[in-house]
Amino acid sequence: MAIVLNTLLIIITALAIPGVINRTRALLAGRKGLPFSQHLRNVNVLLRKGAVYSTTTTALFRIAPAIYLGAAIVATLMMPVADLYPLISFEGDVICFAYTLALARVAIILAAMDTGSSFEGMGASREALYGALIEPALMIGFATLALFCGYTSFADIFEHEQSFDLHLTIVMLLTAFLFVEITFVESGRVPVDDPKTHLELTMIHEVMCLDYSGIDMGMIHIAGWLKTACFAMIAANAVTATCCFHWWCAVPLAILLTGVAIGVVESTQARNKLSRNTTFIVTISALAALIFFIGYLLKLNINI
Amino acid sequence: MFYILLLSALTLLVAALFLTPLRQKMWVAFAAVVAAAIAIAIPAIGVLAEGSEVELMRISSPIFGAESLTMDSLSALFSLVIGIAGVATLLYSRGYLAQYLNKKSSAHISLHYTALVILVISMMLVVISSGGFSFLLAWELMTIASFILILFDAERQQVLRAALAYLIMMHIGFVLLVAGFASIYAITGTGNFADLATCFSSGKTLPIFILFLLGFGMKAGLFPMHVWLPEAHPAAPSHVSAIMSGVMIKTGVYGVMRALWYVVEPSELHTIGLIILAVGVVTGLWGVILAAVQNDAKRLLAYSSIENIGVIFIGLGIATLGQAAGNYLVATIALCGALLHTVNHSMFKSLLFFGAGNIYSQMHTTLLDRFGGVAKHMPMTAILFFIATIAICALPPLNGFIGEFLIYLGMLDSIREGVNTIYAAGGLLALALIGGIVVLAFTKLYSTIFLGSPRDHHVAESMEVDNFRIAAMAIPTVGIITIGMFPQFAIRMVERVANQFFPAATSPIVDMYIAPNLWKISLTAWLLVIIIALLYLLKNRAQRTRTIEQGPTWGCGFTSPNIRMQYTGESYSEPLESITTSLTQNTVEGRAVSKSEIFPSSHGYSIKHKDKIDRLFAAWWMELLHIINKRIMNLRTGKINHYILFALLFLVVIFILSLFNWI
Repeated sequence: MAIVLNTLLIIITALAIPGVINRTRALLAGRKGLPFSQHLRNVNVLLRKGAVYSTTTTALFRIAPAIYLGAAIVATLMMPVADLYPLISFEGDVICFAYTLALARVAIILAAMDTGSSFEGMGASREALYGALIEPALMIGFATLALFCGYTSFADIFEHEQSFDLHLTIVMLLTAFLFVEITFVESGRVPVDDPKTHLELTMIHEVMCLDYSGIDMGMIHIAGWLKTACFAMIAANAVTATCCFHWWCAVPLAILLTGVAIGVVESTQARNKLSRNTTFIVTISALAALIFFIGYLLKLNINI
Repeated sequence: MFYILLLSALTLLVAALFLTPLRQKMWVAFAAVVAAAIAIAIPAIGVLAEGSEVELMRISSPIFGAESLTMDSLSALFSLVIGIAGVATLLYSRGYLAQYLNKKSSAHISLHYTALVILVISMMLVVISSGGFSFLLAWELMTIASFILILFDAERQQVLRAALAYLIMMHIGFVLLVAGFASIYAITGTGNFADLATCFSSGKTLPIFILFLLGFGMKAGLFPMHVWLPEAHPAAPSHVSAIMSGVMIKTGVYGVMRALWYVVEPSELHTIGLIILAVGVVTGLWGVILAAVQNDAKRLLAYSSIENIGVIFIGLGIATLGQAAGNYLVATIALCGALLHTVNHSMFKSLLFFGAGNIYSQMHTTLLDRFGGVAKHMPMTAILFFIATIAICALPPLNGFIGEFLIYLGMLDSIREGVNTIYAAGGLLALALIGGIVVLAFTKLYSTIFLGSPRDHHVAESMEVDNFRIAAMAIPTVGIITIGMFPQFAIRMVERVANQFFPAATSPIVDMYIAPNLWKISLTAWLLVIIIALLYLLKNRAQRTRTIEQGPTWGCGFTSPNIRMQYTGESYSEPLESITTSLTQNTVEGRAVSKSEIFPSSHGYSIKHKDKIDRLFAAWWMELLHIINKRIMNLRTGKINHYILFALLFLVVIFILSLFNWI
């Protein structure tokens, strides 16, 4: 029962976040903006359409969206909502989570390269590099959680009722911040990538799906929501774990924390120059290492 | 007795290979390797099943005293890897060498097959020799055989150079190993591996271990001794690269593991573990970054082998550190990971080199930017290469993920339990970065060769290779998929070996901790495959009633895109190169289009990324000679009076020296 609830909640989160982002952007810009569920209607239309495939492509191009979405679904099934229990859970599932998402990335990169378009190659090349550089941040983030909670599985890390502890709170809040930052990168948002840009030369994720249409495009969108929801949920879980909140708290937290954060950043900040992206992402990795080190010192009970 | 047996077997083999008709030579060699593989697999499987140790044969050696061929779990695991890879390689060689049968002389082909069989047999001897003379003999045989194999295309200048460099470096390593065994002999009076235990208890652990680490590291390709790998692999025929990169360099890993087994003192284990971890991190990162910037398929694969050796050593280092801290949970998991990764790498790397061989035999080049769209012409190769790519990127649901998962889990457990936290975090950071860049390197490799539009007319003329090669490639593929989908059974294979290292601790840890987790990973892998298949089928079903059109790739409003504008391998990895440029030595021909050119004219541009470490080995003594030569040239003034002066000075020196009775 808890597993079904958990899965439902994370799906709700995934569906709600893009809406919250759009509403936040509209509010801050003083526009009327899109309705909350516009993204759902868009995908609904996409899923009912036919498709155009490039003659350059091979069968890989048609399978890739299935791999992309399939991997995102499996990754989502590993994600607990606060103290609920996910479908897939074992010691070290954090590693499996990261590598399943890497599988999704490989699928979409290869699909982009399959079209033989120089624009899509550009996006693929960037995605590959940024994906490589964000990986250490992700892993060290998980290591911080493992160090402090003593578990290597999401469910165990977030499930256990922790008594209020200042050190834990500090580390968990920092980790939550880290995962919000990682969400920006992994879901292709400002300041790393701008999904609303119209110039292919400066795109990253969007340019990789230029040749997709119809159901394939819909699947890619859904996978993107799921990925964002996973990272948002890690951040929210980290907060709920420190303050002994329960699942009913984690879902709105995940939706609002990430949705509003992305919305605010997108309304107030310009995206990075592409050459600055590398620095930005490496900084996140450095930040992750720093948080790990702070956690290590706190764990040793050294006053800093 | 053993040596007579070995000699007669080799003579018989040479006679058989040289006397059979040209087209049957392969089958003779194949039969010999299959026989050897079966002969070694029977005791190996027995040992792995029972966990016991079997003495196959006693040998009396001329120098070091009594020795034996002994099969224990560690040997058994490596023997199986060698046997399987040997059979696949021989099967593959049939198709690959078919095109050379008319070009090369019959003796040349015979020599090649002789060397190939000797390489396989000598590797088997390496892993079952208990030490001393027989081990060094087998080691040297292995080096010579692989040297001959690299020399197959000796008409090409670079092949000759690569082979010589290989021979020289291997012999430096050999000297170090001889020194290692000699120091065992000096301390204990015999030269077996088993006597290392006595040596290590006499307090000279670190120097002797480092001697062995350097000697074996030369073969394994540890940084900075890796420079022979990226030279030798492009030079060698593909099936030779496959067995050298997939298996032969693993004998170096085997040697280090064997020597490590005898270290018991925790403080020494700690130091050694740190050294191994540090070497692994540097080797892995260096290998993967250099791999990502290469524009030659086989060089890229060679660097990726270096990277994988790095990953194995990271696992081994974490295991050793765990053992030093008395934490057998960490030690067992990481060791199982390192061992499993060794097995896995032998599979996917052979497969990748076989794939590279397929495209080389069709297009006669391995330069990435000559390919494009090969998947349409060679679909089977493309599918198998895709499987290997996913496996080497360590992605679920294939075997590469399982090995790296265990190494990661070892590090996370190390962090979680608070032992060696900082070292484990360092290893984790490095492994995560390696894992990320591997994805970049191999998506580059796969997409530039197999995807997109053809960049060269040779691609259009290429055809799928013969079924023997596909069959040879199927052998590692089966292993890749089986280990990936059923890791809970694969772990039993390495459990025995880990058990040999940590006798009491392993079985409960594997039973209670690793195996249940791997069960769930297996379920996750199946779930992943089923979900992907379902999604694909659902999509196809939905699309059946809709209009599906074909058209050109969307050009983003640009009306005349052409094939030359495709992203090349070089442009794909350019962002990475821009941040790692200090690691490589770039030689540029031609000129890139500069930013200030608003209407660019035609440009030729070619860039090569060479390893900076190469200079360390190839160039410094050359430069030294140049400098000395220049100084000496100053003396050659061309004036006869100067020369008479030199002669006089020489006489004076002789006179003075003889005055003091120095000569």
